[in-house]
Amino acid sequence: MPNDRDREIPESVTISFELNGKLVGLQVNAAETALSVLRDRLGLKGPKEGCGIGECGACTVLVDGLAVDACLLFAPQLDGRTVETVEGLADRETLNPLQQAFLSHDAVQCGYCTPGMLMSAKALLQGEAAPGRKAIVEALSGNLCRCTGYLQIIEAVEAAAAQECTGRDAKE
Amino acid sequence: MGDRPAGVIGEKVERIGSRERLLGKASFAADIDLPEAVHLVAVRSERPHARIVGIDVSRAQHISECLRVFTAEDVPGRNRVGIIRKDQPLLADDKVRCIGDPVALVAAETLEAAREAAAAIRVEYEDISALFDPEEALRPGAPLVHADGNLLGRRTVKRGNPEAAFKHADVVVERVYTTAHLEHAYLEPDAGLGYMDGSTLVIHASTQNPHYDQKDVAELLGLDEGSVRIIQAATGGGFGSKLDLNVQGFVGLAAYLLNRPARMVYTREEAFLCTPKRHPLTIAYKSAANRDGRLLAADIRVVGDTGAYASYGPAVLNRVALHATGPYELPNLFVESVLAYTNNPTAGAMRGFGVPQIAFAHESQMDLLAAALGMSPLEIRLRNCYRIGSLTASGQELTGSVGIRATLDAVAPQYAAAVRERNGTVSGHIRRGVGIGSMMYGIGNTGQQNPATAHLELTLDGGVVLYSGAADVGQGSSTVLAQIAAAELGLQPEAIRTVIADTLLTTSAGATSASRQTYISGNAVLDAARKLKEVLLTEAADMLKFDRAKVILEHGSVRAVRDADRSVSFAEIARRCHKLGMPLKWQGFFDPDTTPLDLETGQGVPYATYAFATHVAEVSVDTLTGEVRCLRVVAAHDVGKAVNPQGVHGQICGGVAMGIGFALMEEFVPGQTESLKDYHIPSAADMPEVIPIIVEDPEPTGPFGAKGVGEPALVPTAPAILNAIADALGVRIYDLPAGLERVLQAALSARKP
Ligand code: FES
Ligand code: FES
Repeated sequence: MPNDRDREIPESVTISFELNGKLVGLQVNAAETALSVLRDRLGLKGPKEGCGIGECGACTVLVDGLAVDACLLFAPQLDGRTVETVEGLADRETLNPLQQAFLSHDAVQCGYCTPGMLMSAKALLQGEAAPGRKAIVEALSGNLCRCTGYLQIIEAVEAAAAQECTGRDAKE
Repeated sequence: MGDRPAGVIGEKVERIGSRERLLGKASFAADIDLPEAVHLVAVRSERPHARIVGIDVSRAQHISECLRVFTAEDVPGRNRVGIIRKDQPLLADDKVRCIGDPVALVAAETLEAAREAAAAIRVEYEDISALFDPEEALRPGAPLVHADGNLLGRRTVKRGNPEAAFKHADVVVERVYTTAHLEHAYLEPDAGLGYMDGSTLVIHASTQNPHYDQKDVAELLGLDEGSVRIIQAATGGGFGSKLDLNVQGFVGLAAYLLNRPARMVYTREEAFLCTPKRHPLTIAYKSAANRDGRLLAADIRVVGDTGAYASYGPAVLNRVALHATGPYELPNLFVESVLAYTNNPTAGAMRGFGVPQIAFAHESQMDLLAAALGMSPLEIRLRNCYRIGSLTASGQELTGSVGIRATLDAVAPQYAAAVRERNGTVSGHIRRGVGIGSMMYGIGNTGQQNPATAHLELTLDGGVVLYSGAADVGQGSSTVLAQIAAAELGLQPEAIRTVIADTLLTTSAGATSASRQTYISGNAVLDAARKLKEVLLTEAADMLKFDRAKVILEHGSVRAVRDADRSVSFAEIARRCHKLGMPLKWQGFFDPDTTPLDLETGQGVPYATYAFATHVAEVSVDTLTGEVRCLRVVAAHDVGKAVNPQGVHGQICGGVAMGIGFALMEEFVPGQTESLKDYHIPSAADMPEVIPIIVEDPEPTGPFGAKGVGEPALVPTAPAILNAIADALGVRIYDLPAGLERVLQAALSARKP
């Protein structure tokens, strides 16, 4: 657990990775979590800490396209990877279709779970062309939300998935 | 969904604050960067009840980056906080009353150093015998948690002659119900940041009540209120917990005494350890009916554990007693609710203030009485539910907006269909069950003034700014308030700029609690909007040289009813008013009409209006594993008027989720439960299908008829689920949560011949 790592010998490592489309490089402490590097060193406050032990999903980011809990990942593990956070979703202020679907389904209440939810949903939509409700529920089941009761979030992801499908069909 | 035009009351509207949250740009307290801020860590008691003999900080002071260790002696003002009773020290002085009590506060340059220093502090204690059971705490001779006794309070409600009525009843049912400590488990652990801005202490807080925070922080530090400014940061849920101070006092103390910015962020473990919990209650409930199902009498005695400090215990005490009958007429009644201090974690406000617990009892009783009479659960509720002219437990006559019957009627077809479906589904060890839960909920604080104020300002460019002290913690009050202002001023909600929950810029709206902001702040906003509208109409009529009665507001201008070309814009009116020296900012005020309760009989008018709801839950119960799945919840809510229907749906779905947790899985065991690892809240996979039904029986005194829904959304779910489990098994569970073991045990006892 990152909270009790006082025994470890600080060891500095230089890492570089692609973050939301840009290459970044920095020196990190080997015992630092990816979450604290993103939040405290790189200033990306989108990913949240809700538990620090992999139970809540508020810190979810994509690493090489997979949704992971950044609080469980050590910073050196980011080296050479492609990392996406909620900050990378929109085109400046223009929401992407998934964010737009969250907005129009009122899937955001307090919003603390939202960045993590979006990233888990994104990983699902990237991996699966037309996920059914079951797959959506499964993909989101590691992301806790205390406010919404999930249904408006699930509906938003369904709508985004449907839109992606019709988008793809239209292109074909 | 998706394409209806954004409208005003009852229409789909973009929720204020969602966009920035979706972009990851909303600033929660822990997100605010101030590199020069010191980090704070509290040293917390590991003893439940002990005198503090000494605190040795010498080793901590040798840690190079440790700046200062604060103890009770450093608190410059009154070292006591608490919204109702000031009984909780910011830093323990003479003794600790529960595990987690803060004893010292460390400020250091880094979080690591602060933790290291905190771990190096030695506190010498002398244990006092500790109390973990409220009944024990009330026995004569019990050790005292507080010097003036262990009784936090007692509330009685008396009507008619229950003793005589019990004698003449055809059926009497008497049972005991228990509920557990619960953790709010809002997703954002408490956090805050404080700094000095000249001589003003500014605190960005994760809070439900900035104006209360301001008072208590000022008194802690011996400052006047004007020297403390609380700004609500984006707040990741509260559910009642963030009505109490969390880190505000600590960051305030450090920032003020060190004259440096100070931040404090609770870990999840710390938030679990030291923030308030839901009250565990033991409810002895006896009720009686005659042959045709009419309720005759009830005798209800509730004992609860309020833990180490008062917090919102007194509010829970009152609410439990006044809601003990549920939404049913009961002419003969004795209710007593008692809360005792113990050395358990403090119990405070949690969504519903004790009503979810008592509703579990009154709804179980209704089903038991129905079964004893061979009547359907729906029927017994229909026969007894409140209507216009009914008298409540406190003798209050209900004169309008009594939608309980309408919620029962609304779910009736779905209930009948669910019962048919259940009868048709028999599959081995999986049993199906259907249950109903109903409730009423008084909007606003109990039997006392709880006003809200708000301001609306017309800017010189014709814009409208809404100022409200009402903290939006995710429930959506800012959006609803903007809709109300917009509706009155002929604007779209997006046209209203909002300034929310900043004690420098807004006046008090009271707490975001008791489902009160839509009704109370909504009325305050409406009052301000009417005043502004009055000015707009009067000035425009004069400018247009037109009959005042024949001009209307539309899209930011005022025009003649039948002549769209004859109009003046808000901006023109604003400039003219400004020139004339007229104010452009108007205050609104609302305080619901209530009377204090009689101390002995509990009679009076505790609330100006009530929300009503009925849920039907369908469950499947695995009789081999004890696993209960909630399959579908039909949730009918009389909200008066749904100002933001999509928001109401969100509240209902969120309430159902929390209700499932309360019914089936959540239990905080003091001294054991540590984090989300051993405290499970429902995930997406636990959710049933939810069918929200909005019932609108307009409240004559509500803004556009609205009441509230925040807490009502939660209340009926657990009762409906427990009734459904009883329906499935033929055996009832009286203790929450109905976890695997309890359900399995019930299933086993059902199998016995
Ligand atoms: S903070 Fe990473 S899972 Fe909770
Ligand atoms: S919206 Fe509050 S936790 Fe999900």
